[in-house]
Amino acid sequence: MTAQTASASGVALRIQNVGMRFGGLWALSDVTFDVERGSVLGLIGPNGSGKTTLMNVISGVYRPTTGAVRFASRRIADVPTHEVCQLGIARTFQIVKPFASLTVRENVAVGAMYGRYGAKRSTRASFERAQELLEIVGLARVADRAASDLTIPDRKRLEVAKALALDPDVLLLDEVMAGLNATEVDEALELLRDVNRRGVTLIVVEHLMKAIVSISTTIVVLAEGKKIAQGAPADVLASPQVIEAYLGSRWVKRQEQLKIIEAERADAARVQPPDAHA
Amino acid sequence: MALLLLVPLGHNGYIEIVFRNILMYAAMAYGWNLIGGYTGYVSFGQVAFFGIGAYCSAVLSAHNIDNLFADVALACVVTALFAVVVGLPVLRLKGHYFAIATLGIGLALSDIVANLDVLGASSGLAVHHVDEPHFYVYYYAMWLVALGSMLGTYFIARSKLGFAFVAIRENEEAAAVLGISATRYKVIAWAISGMMAGSAGAVFAPANGFLDPSIAFSADSNIFPIVMGILGGVGTVAGPFIGALILAGANELLQKYFIKIHTLFFGAMIVLVVLLLSRGLVWLFGLKGGARTWLKSLTAYKA
Repeated sequence: MTAQTASASGVALRIQNVGMRFGGLWALSDVTFDVERGSVLGLIGPNGSGKTTLMNVISGVYRPTTGAVRFASRRIADVPTHEVCQLGIARTFQIVKPFASLTVRENVAVGAMYGRYGAKRSTRASFERAQELLEIVGLARVADRAASDLTIPDRKRLEVAKALALDPDVLLLDEVMAGLNATEVDEALELLRDVNRRGVTLIVVEHLMKAIVSISTTIVVLAEGKKIAQGAPADVLASPQVIEAYLGSRWVKRQEQLKIIEAERADAARVQPPDAHA
Repeated sequence: MALLLLVPLGHNGYIEIVFRNILMYAAMAYGWNLIGGYTGYVSFGQVAFFGIGAYCSAVLSAHNIDNLFADVALACVVTALFAVVVGLPVLRLKGHYFAIATLGIGLALSDIVANLDVLGASSGLAVHHVDEPHFYVYYYAMWLVALGSMLGTYFIARSKLGFAFVAIRENEEAAAVLGISATRYKVIAWAISGMMAGSAGAVFAPANGFLDPSIAFSADSNIFPIVMGILGGVGTVAGPFIGALILAGANELLQKYFIKIHTLFFGAMIVLVVLLLSRGLVWLFGLKGGARTWLKSLTAYKA
């Protein structure tokens, strides 16, 4: 398929047969899916299923062993890491990486200076852009504090603001909600919806099932480096393969056994005469 | 800084040389601060740039060109080129490995020059020099070099460039994801840092009138700027100047009153600075509120 058909059909990002090997271990094998422009793609899977590895491949930090990730007409693997953001792809890190000695505003301003439209921005314009973004993510109140002073939820917000400062078309979010309490998760979801409404395609990795179901338009499930399901959230979660990947084959068997036992009980109840214990 | 303009009016040759050395070390400390303080690559090779700058003047002098502006201009061009050529491989190293590699650069250059007859080999060569009453030109030239290094640092620290340097120091991977080419900006930082040290060397050589490898690539010129940068305040604009003033001044006084054991005192001072003031005076008294920050700096030093 050519890049032309890709853009015509509204595909933002095309992941084609991506495989990634570390020594003898295939962290990813033959993963293929498209990300629709303007959509929110939820990427889920048990621990060690390859989610973060895939994020690293998409953002150009890793070069895939097989296959390719295409964005517009470019192969991400051909682009140096520091130029990926110029294409319009930004990411957050699961383990947040703020520039500790800089203030919150400076952290975001660095993104605005060197991101996609950075070359056209003066230092001052970058700081103004940073201020706007801090207001969007709700960090304006701590703009002048050192990034190292931030609480965990605020650090996650900072990661999002830094990524947004790159003016991306596609934003990869690696567990930005981990460690947040219920209220904070709701706030984060509201923020992500807001970002998505501004036309940014989101790829969200998250363990929190409730959050991912509520925000995603499509969910892709990875298990042991392979894609085992893709579709609308409700369909994907009902899939026996997904349940098995998450809860184990013994759980699935036990559920089946429980069903049989229940059915037998129901049968037995029907057979017994209504006045049996009288 | 402006006060130092008055020094030559005292017509005291000794004092003038002492303060010229302070300015020289200040310029080198600014150079070190840019790569070691702002960009986080602790270089032990700044003396290489100083030596190159000094030999640039010597070569020009041998061709009967004795113009300080020409000396500094040539030194800047040659040190910047040297920084790019050597930096591309060496700046791939991190932490201790980078420090050791840069240490080697200074030592290697010293040995190379000692075997080059064109540059006077190990016996050295004379550099064109004017004496009193025009001796003060070297003082003012050095003052300009130090001022240039300070202003350069001031403007870089506030520019996009400065933020790229700090981002690289804090986290290279995160910087790359934000669109900063680490290799490119590290080399730029090192080239500018080399130009500062090189300019200082270019003025030093004619002021001294003589140059050999042990003067051009001396251990003092290598270690002093680093300790001054640390004492004054790593990654700050005022730090290197304050550090140079205090340390070079102290060194001079120790030499005057304890001629036999001054290096012992001086060594102890360096150890104390690194132990107790690893983030420097500017951080101690300046931006981040006194004693608590200082106590924190004792336990948690990050180069």
